[in-house]
Amino acid sequence: MSIITDVIQSTKAIIQGMGVTLSYIPKRKWTVQYPEEPVTMQPRYRGQHLLHVDELGKEKCVACFLCAAACPSECIYIIAKDDPRLPADRIGVDERYAEVYNIDYGRCIFCGYCVEACPKDAITHGYNFELSVYNRADLLKTKTDLLITTQVQSKNYRVAFSDEDVDSEYKEI
Amino acid sequence: MSTEVIKVNINSKEFEVPKGARLIDVCRDKGFDIPSFCYYSDLALQASCRMCLVRIEKMPKLQTSCTIICTDGMIVTTQSEEIEKAQRSMLEFLLANHPLDCPVCDRGGECELQEMTFDWGGLEERFIEKKNYAPEKYLSPMVANDPQRCILCKRCTRVCDEWMGEDAIEAGGRGANTVIGTYGGWLDCSQCGNCIEVCPTGTLLDGTYRHQARPWELAQTISTCSYCSDGCEMSLGSRAGELMRIVARDRYVNGHNGEFLCIKGRFGHPFVNHEDRLRTPLIRYKKGGKLIPATWDEAIRYTAEKLKAAAAAYGPDALGVVGSPRITNEANYALHKFATEVVGTKNYAATDAFSLKPFFDNLGAPLATHRDIRYAKTILLIGGEPEELQPLTAKQIRQAVSNGAAKLIVINSVPIRLVEHAAQFIHIRPGMENAAVWALGHSSNETTAAQKMGIEANELSALRQTITETEGDVVIMFGGELNAAAQMIVAQLANSFRADTRRVLLHPLPLYNNSVGAHDMGMMNGAMSVAEMLDATGSSIRALYVAGSFLPEHLRGREEALAKLDFLAVHELFETDTTAFADVVLPAASFAEIDGTFTNNDGLVQRVRQSIPPVHQAKPDWMITAALAAELGKDFGFQMSASAVFREIAERIPAYSGLRYPVLKDESNPVQARYNIVEPRDLSSALNELKQTVAALPDDGEKSNVTPRVGHELFKIGTLTDKVSQFHLLAAGNPRPDTVRVSPLYQITVDAKLERDAAVSGD
Repeated sequence: MSIITDVIQSTKAIIQGMGVTLSYIPKRKWTVQYPEEPVTMQPRYRGQHLLHVDELGKEKCVACFLCAAACPSECIYIIAKDDPRLPADRIGVDERYAEVYNIDYGRCIFCGYCVEACPKDAITHGYNFELSVYNRADLLKTKTDLLITTQVQSKNYRVAFSDEDVDSEYKEI
Repeated sequence: MSTEVIKVNINSKEFEVPKGARLIDVCRDKGFDIPSFCYYSDLALQASCRMCLVRIEKMPKLQTSCTIICTDGMIVTTQSEEIEKAQRSMLEFLLANHPLDCPVCDRGGECELQEMTFDWGGLEERFIEKKNYAPEKYLSPMVANDPQRCILCKRCTRVCDEWMGEDAIEAGGRGANTVIGTYGGWLDCSQCGNCIEVCPTGTLLDGTYRHQARPWELAQTISTCSYCSDGCEMSLGSRAGELMRIVARDRYVNGHNGEFLCIKGRFGHPFVNHEDRLRTPLIRYKKGGKLIPATWDEAIRYTAEKLKAAAAAYGPDALGVVGSPRITNEANYALHKFATEVVGTKNYAATDAFSLKPFFDNLGAPLATHRDIRYAKTILLIGGEPEELQPLTAKQIRQAVSNGAAKLIVINSVPIRLVEHAAQFIHIRPGMENAAVWALGHSSNETTAAQKMGIEANELSALRQTITETEGDVVIMFGGELNAAAQMIVAQLANSFRADTRRVLLHPLPLYNNSVGAHDMGMMNGAMSVAEMLDATGSSIRALYVAGSFLPEHLRGREEALAKLDFLAVHELFETDTTAFADVVLPAASFAEIDGTFTNNDGLVQRVRQSIPPVHQAKPDWMITAALAAELGKDFGFQMSASAVFREIAERIPAYSGLRYPVLKDESNPVQARYNIVEPRDLSSALNELKQTVAALPDDGEKSNVTPRVGHELFKIGTLTDKVSQFHLLAAGNPRPDTVRVSPLYQITVDAKLERDAAVSGD
């Protein structure tokens, strides 16, 4: 192969490549200016867990331990407690509730098995995704960190509507 | 059951089974799984759950296999579409009113109904009607009840009747409205909790463990009960270093007690993780000073130094070593070795209420196992109160009488509850048990003895006649009332009653879990008894090394005895009356935290296994003794391993020869220690001795006619209620009794605050 053909082919390749690059410049940008702009989360995103409460504000969790049993990385730790008070005074929906509910995010693999196992729909995945901490011990999140009424939600995301087309970029390709 | 063999065809396979075998047992034994709820082996038949249906050729309709006795040539089908359909429909009916609140229910995960529904039930619930509603309630601090979950298998009522003889829980109402209930809405019984154990659903639940953990989260460790000498095998459920509950459920443990446990075994465990447990070794540097926390090294060094000083000043015999019938064989053995080989004292003893040494020295017949008692034909009970002190023995006696038609003869000064099952009750004057034994020893003594005891002479001859007419096993039991000579005669009684068709077995009724083991380890061979040792403090006994504490009856009237000592070292779990005088207190590990063995009153050597790590800084007793011996210059060579201690026991103690931990591994095949059975002895000297004892007894006295209420001694008074903070008589529907009481247990006193709360909320 002569040097001339080499030069011609390289130039052609550069022009072709630059063509693709230049063609994207006028199009809409997909880059998000995180953290200045919120990230759009898909509705089924599996972020930090949420422990839910019912319409009266009672914790839905009855401490049945099924999530802990289903967890493949054994990151859920529960201490159950009996709440013998009248239904109106109770913490949870039933007389059994979780006194301690810890998830160790150093171990959690966000597989969602706990959510599937929950018979009371008490635990779901939320959208909080900023879980990095300076201290490894801080990865252990307690009930206050998980309960929907007390969990601090990040301002850096918005959840897409279910009919919102967040996937179209990939569909094009 | 006869040895005759018949042929049964199950699912087109021929099997040879013994005649009289029950079909459901045969099928299960041969590997054909048959579901059932109400069938429970060794209880009266119920045949109400209709789950064990099978097709038997030439019989109309499906038959319940639990009620069928196999006959020759029977052709049985256990699996077919027809049977499955019937079973599926049965489960659908059972679930029609059963709430599906498995996530909240404590039985979830070990529930028979849950399992059967998975294995045999339909997948869908077709009933859309509202389920019957019945409120949850507590029947007692121990028993929580959710009547809605009941499937009316009536295991609880049968167990209460046949095992415990209490009839405290019964079925009321008819048909679909049947409810399991109590008299007056309150469970007035000994609170054994066996109804909880046998319940196949979450209807009856452990009130103390309620809503604390789930069964699959618990590490199950098979161990032996640490209360009475029956040595029930049980499963300790622990989680994260805490002992959560104790059960004897078949799926976890299969001991000689089946699923039976009494209140002490089942509920008396909160002492293990009690907050009052000693945390560190404690040293009292100055007499009258305070106990100051110390390190183990310091405590062992200090103890060794003080013991050495006492031995140097007054001679080794001034040191007393006291073992305990509550600690393991290993611990008692180490103490015995410490006393004889390290200190060289002849003063050692165990804090038992009475010594079985004269009995074992003259043993004339094998010891009866609890299985032998269940199938015995005649049972003679001299003194003792098994109902209170050996509940499993009492249960076996009751079943032998009511399910096995055995004859029970009770010789006692009080009409104990077992009397209602007795064929003959010889009601003697208080303190006359020795006279009864004297009369049994030789028939010529009967008239004199009968006069002393305040009974007719023919009552004793009737007793003698019952025993000599028996074909099968005769079990002779005796309690702690007998003196040494009487124990010797009882041990030799077998020789006078034995015949070709009759086997005589002996069954002592010692008080503590390892009374027999403490005797076997030689702790009762010392020169002084515990009482004598306490009397000699300050004179011939200058220092004591005690494992456990002295019994209240030892210290009664001798309150000052311990203060006279130069030095007192104690292993204990808690601060007690004994540690109040101790110079060094070493925190010992409880039965749940150690490996070891207990020997029960059958002579069965049973494993105790570690369930949780020792709490705080506690150590096993034998390890403490070995450390002390090492400090005094003698290495026991146990190398921190309980099995090494046991190996040495097996090498040195003839009755335990050949035993090793692996041999004792299987709790369903318990191993009996081989006690030496002596040749018939000449009893004339013992009879003479006893004659003098009897002659010294008063000629008249009031007979007691009051049946004692059953009450229980616990390791630590009050610990039973510790876990019952939630006890409040779950309001809904449980009628409030006039006085909130749980009668027979004097330790269970309802917390005054709870009682107040209950009064305010009206439940």
